[in-house]
Amino acid sequence: MEKRFEFLPDVAIADIAFRARGADIGELFENCALALTDVMADPKKISLKEKKKFSVEGTTQEELLFNFLGELVYIKDVDNLIFGKFKVGVSEQKLEAECSGSSLGEIGRANLRNDVKAITMHMFSVKKIAKGYEATVVVDI
Amino acid sequence: MSFVNPNTKMKIEPVSKHVWEIPVTEKKGMNVPGRIFATENLMRGIDEGVFEQLTNVACMPGIVKYAMAMPDAHWGYAFPVGGVAAFDTEEGVISPGAVGYDICCGMRLISTNLSYKEVKPKIKELVNELFEKVPAGVGVKGKISLQRKEVLEVMHEGANWCYEKGYAWKEDIERIEGKGKIEGADSEKVSERAIGRTMNQLGTLGSGNHYLEIQVIHASEIFNSEIANKFGVFDDEQVMVMVHCGSRGTGHQIASDYLQKFMDAMKKYNITVKDKELACTPINSDEGKDYYAAMACAANNAFANRQVITHNIRKAFEKIFNKSAENMEMNLIYDVAHNIAKIEKHQVNGKAKKLLVVRKGSTRSFGPGHEELAQVFRKTGQPVIVGGSMETGSYVCVGTEKAMDETFGSTMHGSGRTMSRTKAKELVKGEQLQKDMEKRGIYVKSASYSGLAEEAGMAYKDISEVVRTMDEIGISKKVFSLKPVGNVKG
Repeated sequence: MEKRFEFLPDVAIADIAFRARGADIGELFENCALALTDVMADPKKISLKEKKKFSVEGTTQEELLFNFLGELVYIKDVDNLIFGKFKVGVSEQKLEAECSGSSLGEIGRANLRNDVKAITMHMFSVKKIAKGYEATVVVDI
Repeated sequence: MSFVNPNTKMKIEPVSKHVWEIPVTEKKGMNVPGRIFATENLMRGIDEGVFEQLTNVACMPGIVKYAMAMPDAHWGYAFPVGGVAAFDTEEGVISPGAVGYDICCGMRLISTNLSYKEVKPKIKELVNELFEKVPAGVGVKGKISLQRKEVLEVMHEGANWCYEKGYAWKEDIERIEGKGKIEGADSEKVSERAIGRTMNQLGTLGSGNHYLEIQVIHASEIFNSEIANKFGVFDDEQVMVMVHCGSRGTGHQIASDYLQKFMDAMKKYNITVKDKELACTPINSDEGKDYYAAMACAANNAFANRQVITHNIRKAFEKIFNKSAENMEMNLIYDVAHNIAKIEKHQVNGKAKKLLVVRKGSTRSFGPGHEELAQVFRKTGQPVIVGGSMETGSYVCVGTEKAMDETFGSTMHGSGRTMSRTKAKELVKGEQLQKDMEKRGIYVKSASYSGLAEEAGMAYKDISEVVRTMDEIGISKKVFSLKPVGNVKG
């Protein structure tokens, strides 16, 4: 199977950049979310006990992805949750997400990584490729 | 390939010693040239992102004189980090992405009268206590939980709120840039989400390159003893505490909220930018004024955050050394922002002009006599705190008159990265680095081993060369350097 995401070592050197792919737009968004989780915590230490459902709106696929990832950063700060599994449904102007994960306390301080400040618009893109979709994201650390 | 840098094809012309210029002909739409301050050696190593981003900034409407990169410049997410630009307040624009997410991130230096001899036997105990008292890392909560009403007070009052609540000494306030408060803050312009993210984060470090460091000054590394003395340096082996952090979730949320608003609003003003992250509106537009008022709220929160951290540092020292903070003369030397936009008066072509100065990873460097400086710094000039990597050390410099002429009163903010976080993590293992540093006399406690690896000294430029660049140009003069002996890393 093709890698869900990869980190880009030579881009935006003070921050972290990743590229994710998916067979369809929902899978692309899920893989972007998994990459974001990987920046924040060791995914192996995340149980799937805590559940959270939410939706975001946006007029383009880019805006939907930007708002979706931004919401995950917000939930990390306010609800103190990081997720290891995502189910994402994308319609024209709305995204619905079902997320399963752990509280920061349960993950444990030693297994947490970077406190992502925000999702940036620098190089941010969602595009159609031969085998589905690809997104590039730079997160501010 | 440029003749001085293998990473760009752009034409780079030498202007004077350590000063380089990218002419307006290098990119369509540039309103002003790009200026880079760097030794030839530093110039050769600057990454490609800096040239692209600097010339993108040079295309922004209303930019005055130059888009500038300091010697610590590296690839950011819109503006280069280590970037400075000033905009005409009548014709220019304001951009949330240019200021960045960590609004009013900055440095703070606290003195002690303790010698390294006294601190060394207790360094682990001290660092461990600081690690407990100043929470660091992902999603940590501060020791103080604020009610909504108190969040709004912090946003309007900044460090003064801390004084009223007993988290500051009276003398602290005048030793903070702008007395720890930016005028014009209006919490009505701040979203409920940003308020929510502020409630539990006051007094926390965050992560990334944020840290709290115990440092030592060696007499051989005091370059101007008269000014060092006025700043609070008295002895060889004197111990100091340095803090690097910002406005936490408050600033992150405000920047994210306004970036989205600005991407839409920009169309209304018929503005186009080279990078979506540079989305901007006129300074005088409703959107521009609203962002400035919200940004000031985040800045005030950052000053308060560093002040609460200072309070907790004093408590930690009191516990470990069994003396009062007053007795240990734990005075604030200075607190200075390095991610901020401020309205300032500067001379442009011989005329005084009101400008919006954006310092994105750049420190204010006001010279002697400047009216905005507290009385205590009127004769010396403003202290410039330059945070280095946790392995190599930091500097304190002083602002100059020349900075006012050349860089809108600005200079470098740190050493600047040369290697990405992703690459550093591939090359360095955090646990091993911690052990190696301890052998070299630096005890570091980190919230995360991978975060520690990302901050390895090898990922940074040589801070001495960065500081020397601006010292030799005369933009900020070296006063003393500090060596790390203990570090709490976010």
